[in-house]
Amino acid sequence: MPKLTKQLMLPALVLLTVGLTMMILFSGGSSSATTSPEAIPSTVSAAQSLTVPPAAYQTGRLNSGAANSTVRVHNSSGQLIAYGNRDITYVAPPDKLIPLGEALYMQNCASCHGTTANGVPANGTPGAYPNLRGLGPATVDFWVASGRMPASDPRNVQAERKQPRLTPTQALAVAAWVNSLSPATPFVPVVHSIKTADVSDGFQLFSLNCAACHTITGDGDALARNTNAPSLRNVPSTQVVEAIRTGPGNMPRFTGNLSDEQVRNVVSYVTGYIQHPRDPGGFDLGGLGPVAEGFVALSFGVGLLALVAFWIGDRT
Amino acid sequence: MSTTINGTSSSKQADESPYGPVGKVLNELDDRLGIAKGGRSLVDKIFPDHWSFMLGEIALYSFVVLIATGIFLTLYYVPSQALVTYHGAYLPLRGQHVSEAYATSIDLSFGVRAGLLMRQMHHWACDIFIGAMVIHMARVFFTGAFRKPRELNYTIGITMLIMGILNGFLGYSLPDDLVSGTGIRIAFSILESIPVVGTYLAYLLFGGPFPGTAILPRFYIIHVLLIPLILIGMVTVHLFLLVRQKHTQFPGKGRTERNVVGAPMVPIFAAKATGFFFMVAGAIALLGGLAQINPIWQFGFYRASNISYAVQPDWYMGFLDGALRIWPSWEWTGFGHTIPLEVFVPALIVPGIIFTVCALWPTIEAKYTKDTEMHNLLDRPRDRPKRTAAGSAIFALVFMLFVASSTDVLANFTHVSLNVVLWAMRILCIVVPLITYPIVYQICVELQGVPGGGKRKRANIVSRTETGEYVAVPAEQRPGDGHQELDAETVPSYIDFKDDEPQDPGTKRVSR
Amino acid sequence: MSDDDLGSFSTASPDDPHMQPLARNPERAEQLIALTLVIGIVLIVLFGVAYWYNWQPWTFGVTLGGGILFLGFGITAWGKYLMPKGPFVEERHDLRGTDEERDLFGAAVTQRGAGILGRRKVLAGTAGLGLVAFGVVAAFPLLRSLGPLPGKTPTRTGWRKGTYLVDSTGRAVHVDDLAVGGIVTVYPKGLQDTDQGQATDQTVLIRLSDASFTTRPGRETWGPAGYVAYSKLCTHLGCPVGLYEQQLEQLVCPCHQSMFDVTNGAEPDFGPAPRPLPQLPLYVDGRGYVRSQDGFDQPVGPGYWERS
Repeated sequence: MPKLTKQLMLPALVLLTVGLTMMILFSGGSSSATTSPEAIPSTVSAAQSLTVPPAAYQTGRLNSGAANSTVRVHNSSGQLIAYGNRDITYVAPPDKLIPLGEALYMQNCASCHGTTANGVPANGTPGAYPNLRGLGPATVDFWVASGRMPASDPRNVQAERKQPRLTPTQALAVAAWVNSLSPATPFVPVVHSIKTADVSDGFQLFSLNCAACHTITGDGDALARNTNAPSLRNVPSTQVVEAIRTGPGNMPRFTGNLSDEQVRNVVSYVTGYIQHPRDPGGFDLGGLGPVAEGFVALSFGVGLLALVAFWIGDRT
Repeated sequence: MSTTINGTSSSKQADESPYGPVGKVLNELDDRLGIAKGGRSLVDKIFPDHWSFMLGEIALYSFVVLIATGIFLTLYYVPSQALVTYHGAYLPLRGQHVSEAYATSIDLSFGVRAGLLMRQMHHWACDIFIGAMVIHMARVFFTGAFRKPRELNYTIGITMLIMGILNGFLGYSLPDDLVSGTGIRIAFSILESIPVVGTYLAYLLFGGPFPGTAILPRFYIIHVLLIPLILIGMVTVHLFLLVRQKHTQFPGKGRTERNVVGAPMVPIFAAKATGFFFMVAGAIALLGGLAQINPIWQFGFYRASNISYAVQPDWYMGFLDGALRIWPSWEWTGFGHTIPLEVFVPALIVPGIIFTVCALWPTIEAKYTKDTEMHNLLDRPRDRPKRTAAGSAIFALVFMLFVASSTDVLANFTHVSLNVVLWAMRILCIVVPLITYPIVYQICVELQGVPGGGKRKRANIVSRTETGEYVAVPAEQRPGDGHQELDAETVPSYIDFKDDEPQDPGTKRVSR
Repeated sequence: MSDDDLGSFSTASPDDPHMQPLARNPERAEQLIALTLVIGIVLIVLFGVAYWYNWQPWTFGVTLGGGILFLGFGITAWGKYLMPKGPFVEERHDLRGTDEERDLFGAAVTQRGAGILGRRKVLAGTAGLGLVAFGVVAAFPLLRSLGPLPGKTPTRTGWRKGTYLVDSTGRAVHVDDLAVGGIVTVYPKGLQDTDQGQATDQTVLIRLSDASFTTRPGRETWGPAGYVAYSKLCTHLGCPVGLYEQQLEQLVCPCHQSMFDVTNGAEPDFGPAPRPLPQLPLYVDGRGYVRSQDGFDQPVGPGYWERS
């Protein structure tokens, strides 16, 4: 109907212009201009003696995990190599992985994070990429073993989990080398006896601390300005603890406010009922809740029944 | 074979009925209740056959399923917010202090045989009930069935829609889970936002500050008794009016303002209606068994300082949630008082306006068109472009508000920033309804000009003869078309059955 | 429902085209329909078996639903394809009464009804007033006894001078507990398991830095050791604002995505929330526990008429 097309062109043009203008005006954050991940907003005035380094991954001190541990293991030179208790043990990556780690780091990471892991690449500007020193092996292991690093596009606001480029041992090796430059905690966690943890306590803790971002079903969702809380469906227990203790990206870090027993309970709930939900009611419709349910009710329910009515009745 | 039609006949004759024991029972009932006259009229009543007249039936039958499954649920659910310790089958809840409402809802899901099926059927039936009411209302609106003499029936229908939406909200709040509890918190705040009387109303309904322990038992009794009573009463009046005023019909061959063409109640309409009821119930049962809905064990018990992300209300409340998300943060303060316009307007004023316009539409249209005639024939939507376009614009507004309630899901799905999606929704909720009107208007006008538009076309079977010519022959009539060629006749009161000997070998006389 | 004129009573012969079934091959249609009914019966019996032996929940739905569906399909198909196809017609009779009936009705209501009542105007007025009075008073139980008057309750919280901040387990928060970028939900000590504590007093405690943090002028002492505390009740509709993005230093409300900047007193940057989250002034006592200096700087939660 050419007449209709002509009539539609003006409103369509208006919509297109408005839509494009909006996208340009409101495309938030760093996706266009800068080449660095969104810089930490520094609202510090001179009056405040704030010493937050450019990459705010610093925990500032040995976190309470080490301080409150019942077990601490030192090596022959007196260095702490493991701490923890019967719930979770945090183990430093073995020193023998350091040479391998250095080689892998130079191949995969130095181009952005610099040859001394201080966030300054060759011919680059300071502060462009996070400083990896003093963050603890758990931090590096989390980012690399989950595949987020090496980043596919450093200009993205948030690096996404993807197929890891390095094997778990290789990730550990990189963590070992980076840690050797400036040793810190947290170490890489090992969770003990997940199956006998208190899954009920884990559920309550998950509901209070995690569901606000990751959703109560652990499916994740979009957050402000192109960030997102990822799905928890495919996260191994080690990475769950690493994320909780180190607070990667925009995720807050939970240190002294969650004991190792509590973290273990959360891990039990996440690896148990989040990743293997009991769906006795049937197909779970993607875990999207009432949005998906409404869609199914209206299309499969009302829609199909209206088609049945179409079959039963006349069409004139 | 007959008694006199009016006046009494000798009772001895009436006891003997030529129609067997059934006829005898009917006569006995007639002696006591006087049903012969009305009953005959009822069984002879003609119902038009158009498929779109069955959409209201979907709502009616899902309402019946709601009552049946609801009764089952009331036998197990306890509407109490008193805390109990959960000791049931679902391990992540073991040992937690939860309300008895939540515990019994979980027990229904895991402990009671077919309890989960009943819960899910009940919830799916509710979604379908309200959806069917909406499309039924759309059919009534776009065909002009609300005109005189049916304005009252239309208003009753809109009221039932509102009651259904409200009852749905109350119902899914009863299990006291994290997701629906958040909705109750929002409802409290919406009540509070009403100027002058807001806090009084909120404290009145909740028996004090949020959350209190009175709200769930009150929700329960409103949900299982008060609103269902209202709904059952209204449905009865709705159907009574429909029977009394007779159904409308589309214009067509043999159809006038003074007749109804279709199928009689007994046996044809009764068979189709009964069958359709079973199909609706069957579809709801299939959904209830195969598609999980409202998995409250995954949500956990409601605690006021807990929250989940990606939470929307059920779809029929979505337009309210969307309006609340997109509304700018304009709050008015002055003279020592506050009016939270960013809550009061989108949650109460906007739906109030929409539903008022819908409810008053018969009056509005009658005044605008100066039409006070009785109408028993329907309009084709294209023949009333202004009404169709206006109704489409209103539907588009409600639909866009509904879409706006899933901004976070949209942002996640399309990988667009949440902030951009929200701004897009703000603009689309204004622009889309505005451009819907002229587009739909134009479509209606152009469809009017298409000859034979909308009528079923008869296919042509093209075949080639041996000499190479093409011959086109109209295809055979499909089962739905043939009987339209006949002139309608009055439904026969008597049928001359001759199902005995066949007339000649090879043929068999069949009776239906 | 009542027809005075009963019209003609016809007898239909089975040859009448209106009495013929719609199906082109009624015998085959009957067999197919019988088959669907049998399938329906089998499925329904299977539902009985599934219920008796308590099979998986989804089998209940499939057998019951499928069974009813097939039965319904069969009955519907019988009605559509095998019963007389019609079409049939009946006349619409005037709904309205005759002019005479209308006259009688109108006269009865206005003359016997309103007319006779109107002859005793004083009584009519007083009786009407009585009904109105009853109606008003009858509403009192509903309007007054259902709940208490709000009074000052909306403005009160459990935070006082010196109140310990405790987490959901009742453990008091120590200054060494959180690292920079950490968050915990806290309640006044002793109220963490109460309705008031969870619904009204709920607070988020965030560590923004290692050293004292000022969010706004006048609040220099409110953020000791980098700890700041805000009411967790969103000022839009009261949802708990539990979503914290530590690099953006923003609290996002999960319900309608209002975004609050935690570095400047939780001012709403985006979304429908109209006011910042009230801030709780903190201090660290001699043993290192984080405690409140006083209550919030303003009433918590969404707006209402009496809020000034």
